[in-house]
Amino acid sequence: MNRRTFLKIAGLGTISITAACSSQPDETLYSLVHAPDDMVTGQATWYASTCRECPAGCGVLAKNREGRIVKIEGNPLHPINKGKLCIRGQAAVQAIYNPDRILTPMLKESGKWHAVNFGQAEAILRGKAKQAAEKGYNRVRMITEVIGDTLHALFTDALKKWKSEAPLVFEPFAYESLKTANREVFGVDGLPSYRMDKADLLVVFGADFLETWLSPVEYARKFKAMHAVQKGKKGRFIFISPYQSLTGVNSDLWIPCNPGGEAVLAFGILKELLSRNMGHDLPEGIGASILKQLAQFDRTYVTKRSGISEHQYERLLKALLSSENPLVLGTPSAGAGPNSLQTNVAANLLNLLLDPRLTLLDFQNRHRVETAARRIDVLDYIESIRKGASDLVLLNNVNPIFSLPPTSGIKEALDKKSMFVVCFSNFWDETARLSDMVLPVRHPLETWDEYGGHQGMVSTLQPAAGLMNDASTLGDLMLRTAYGKTPPASSYKVHLLARMFDKGKVSGKTGWLKTLQNGGGFGKAAPTDKKFKPSTNTDIAKTLSVTESKSDGIRLIAAPSIRYFDGRGANKVWLSEIPDPLTRVSWQTPVLIHPDTLKKKGWKQENLLRIESKTGALEAPIYKTESVKPGILVMSIGQGHEAYGRYAKGWGQNPLAVLPPATDPASGGPVMSFHPVSVTVSGKKKNLAITSGSRIQHGRKIALTVSLGELISGGKGKKQGLDMNAFPLALPLPEGYHPKRDIYPPHDHDTYRWSMVVDLDRCVGCNACAAACYAENNIGIVGEKRIIEGREMAWLSVERYHNPDRMEEIVFLPMLCQHCDNAPCESVCPVYAPHHSKEGINNQIYNRCIGTRFCAQNCPYKVRRFNWFEWEWPSPSHMQLNPDVTVRAKGVMEKCSFCIQRIKSAHTDAKNEKRLILDGEVLPACVQTCPTEALIFGNLMDKQSRVRKLVADPRAYQVMGYLNTKPAVIYLKKVVQEI
Amino acid sequence: MKRNKSIIVLIGCCFLLVALFLYFFYIPPATDIGSAQPIPFSHRIHAGVKEIQCAYCHPYVARSNHPGLPPVEKCLHCHKYIIIKHPWIEEEHRYYNTKTPTPWKKVNRLAEHVLFNHQRHINSEIKCRECHGAVETMDRIKGTQFQMGFCINCHQQKKANLGCWLACHS
Repeated sequence: MNRRTFLKIAGLGTISITAACSSQPDETLYSLVHAPDDMVTGQATWYASTCRECPAGCGVLAKNREGRIVKIEGNPLHPINKGKLCIRGQAAVQAIYNPDRILTPMLKESGKWHAVNFGQAEAILRGKAKQAAEKGYNRVRMITEVIGDTLHALFTDALKKWKSEAPLVFEPFAYESLKTANREVFGVDGLPSYRMDKADLLVVFGADFLETWLSPVEYARKFKAMHAVQKGKKGRFIFISPYQSLTGVNSDLWIPCNPGGEAVLAFGILKELLSRNMGHDLPEGIGASILKQLAQFDRTYVTKRSGISEHQYERLLKALLSSENPLVLGTPSAGAGPNSLQTNVAANLLNLLLDPRLTLLDFQNRHRVETAARRIDVLDYIESIRKGASDLVLLNNVNPIFSLPPTSGIKEALDKKSMFVVCFSNFWDETARLSDMVLPVRHPLETWDEYGGHQGMVSTLQPAAGLMNDASTLGDLMLRTAYGKTPPASSYKVHLLARMFDKGKVSGKTGWLKTLQNGGGFGKAAPTDKKFKPSTNTDIAKTLSVTESKSDGIRLIAAPSIRYFDGRGANKVWLSEIPDPLTRVSWQTPVLIHPDTLKKKGWKQENLLRIESKTGALEAPIYKTESVKPGILVMSIGQGHEAYGRYAKGWGQNPLAVLPPATDPASGGPVMSFHPVSVTVSGKKKNLAITSGSRIQHGRKIALTVSLGELISGGKGKKQGLDMNAFPLALPLPEGYHPKRDIYPPHDHDTYRWSMVVDLDRCVGCNACAAACYAENNIGIVGEKRIIEGREMAWLSVERYHNPDRMEEIVFLPMLCQHCDNAPCESVCPVYAPHHSKEGINNQIYNRCIGTRFCAQNCPYKVRRFNWFEWEWPSPSHMQLNPDVTVRAKGVMEKCSFCIQRIKSAHTDAKNEKRLILDGEVLPACVQTCPTEALIFGNLMDKQSRVRKLVADPRAYQVMGYLNTKPAVIYLKKVVQEI
Repeated sequence: MKRNKSIIVLIGCCFLLVALFLYFFYIPPATDIGSAQPIPFSHRIHAGVKEIQCAYCHPYVARSNHPGLPPVEKCLHCHKYIIIKHPWIEEEHRYYNTKTPTPWKKVNRLAEHVLFNHQRHINSEIKCRECHGAVETMDRIKGTQFQMGFCINCHQQKKANLGCWLACHS
């Protein structure tokens, strides 16, 4: 560039800047026309509702700020989840403000989609239904997810008006084998809930009750009620399965068995107990006939067939015989091997033998998911649609194209030209793409409804946010389209109320308001007609035979995923960004393989593995893990969508797509495990988006365990010193300072010194805390590529550390900013951006930070995150952002703040009431949601606070405390026990 | 020489024009009175002459971070009866009848990374005017771009909270 051009450009630049940019563009503040009674700008309003992310039906409180839902938390009054939520519940809000949400109805005409308005779409639906009804009987078919009683009754009635049968309730995880087993053994064709908290021994044949099984938040809580150490005692938990799910990792003993070997083992144990004369409470003759049937299941046969050692068998038997309140659970919601029904029948019989009055089973509070149809009935229904016996198919929030194997015939059924398919969906999922009209309805958090996760319970839903479009609720749509000019109610809300009054579930207007405010009516469950009555059918013994697996080759298991459930979570970006608890891999679906298998086959981690079956093929990267039995491949269900929005489409792999379509003949359930035709490595590699640096601790004091025996005996009195093993607990208080260790004087804290206690014995590694943190603190989403580069932004990550001697033993450690008193980050910043507050919190001053990253380098805990880029919140996902938390810009360091915004709001409340902040008043988002209450937050300077008392626990330690950082996050060692 | 002269004049004119431009752009006479609002609401009349309390129109000031803007219906509490035929009041009625939010122009500005808590200040008996000036004398509010020094000075004088996150940022 020559001098003239330079001057020209410089001159032009100056002129254009001065001329074109006003120094302060006007910003607009819109005033409301009417001020709603329940809205104070700047203050949150909470609406009680019910979570519909899975059939469990947890109670939620939706936090509304200026008309938008910014956070969802558990409803403390709700009996199912008692204020807690799982990772999927936390992410529910991302369905409302999803950038791929369909906001107007779409109609397909000659293969092309175009938008229509809601009135037109409704008229089309009304017309098509009328035409179909005129043609004859059963011409309108409907497939729905599990829904509340009221809506189900309305659907049934509307379909009756259209001369058709009741809708089919489809859930990919429908617990067929468990239901059948309950019918066979207890005479109840349903799903009772379990009083797990009252048990002292859990023997579980694969049920993943911490992840997806029946009601994970409820069972996580009940599990820790029996399994956390209390007064030197701890319940015991044995997990038997070919692969160790998150649930299995939390057991005291994992017995890896052959797929289908669970049943053999259960039979063996059953026989042992019966031959010890434990069966006299069984109905006449059943014990004897079972013993006869199980003649061949002696110890050698059982151990050989189930692939376990005699020693393990012995331990299991001994544990069962020595416990007072044992509870046996069956197979997982998916991922069960062959013989699933047999395993569940045997598990039920074991419960009956060990506890003849079945005090640990609750037949009153049965899980609502029992209303789902068996897979075999679903396939029959689809077959009848395919055969052309209908004109109109309605689909409510189901995605059978994704959830069913490709050869199930669903694609052909929905693709038929003579049939009109309406999808009441908010997303372009695989099924919506194939339909003829997509008619968006309101999200559950925008809807009046009721949904009782337990049968007989009332749990209400109410609109908690301003609406995104003019969509109606599905109930309203039914009322307006099916009843001509005489609908039974003017709106679904009126209908709902009338029905609640009718059924006596709510009385009077104040009763209704109170129910709504509490999120439901949580009195005693009404007695149901389904009482438990042990079956007297001696044929039951006949179910106790196992099928032999023909091949011993490699077997693929499709396991349910804690993040995506059956795949419905895949479009919520937090669930993909937060890594899987066990593999720490985000965005991808790795295949889990045992190192022995890898060695035998010559495969390596990150090799792309090609799995082919008769129905399809997929390629996924290998993840090496000791958590599966050799010869088994495990993939989690949920990813690998071909549609369903930008966060789902094309990410990961879908193992369901290669599963055989056949159902298990014994229970009518799907087959989630099979032998692939071929498994080969393609020679290509795929980098895993893995967030953990290492699987083991390399001898450092990070995640510590203590054995129960050592805890009771108190251990040996250790000498204190300055080395790694003898460094004392140095509290972030003046008493934690010692002239021998410290040069600088302690900090002066003003009344409060905030601190967190993390009880590793209670932590199950579910990652709900991480999701709550993303929701509360506006954490950026970086995507797969950046995670591979090591640039994830999570403020809290639940690290998992294997025991290097026994790799299947894992300790979870929620790692967040430790808010050290001697913070290494504070001393290296050239601009004092990390600042120690008078209440002990390590503040990161974003606008002061210049991005040298010295602090991250000097932090031994690696919890500081640098904004390498400007992260995006594609519209309208930015509407979920928490207005009380700054959105950080590029070039700035950030990290956990102990939810300073919540501490500030507690300060405001306390000052208004002229008092100090109470213990337990401040709940950071992670602490609030933890289903097992592993996290406790409070003021260390208050001698009576819970954290202060827990710090005195003999299990208390600080992660790498020997660096003398004096962290304010105090961990309690995990208590391990041998069985 | 003659040629030089014209060049000097030309350069002089340029300087003059730039100076005038900058003057009119940055320090425009008689326009430094705050943004024009969609309805020329006068704080002088309402807060000064009629002595309406600030919190009547900004009702959340003592219980929230934000003081709140009056909804259109609140204006009509009085203006259903007072000077109904005034063209600007008719405009206000139009906003109400068509259910249109009024697009007021923001006048007081605070950096995005600061969270000011009105409630704390009002409840600590800090008067509105201490930060916002004598609003009751202004027709249009000129507004302020609040700077950190302004906050810190006062916090130091009053021995108020100086914790970065605990006080203002988060």
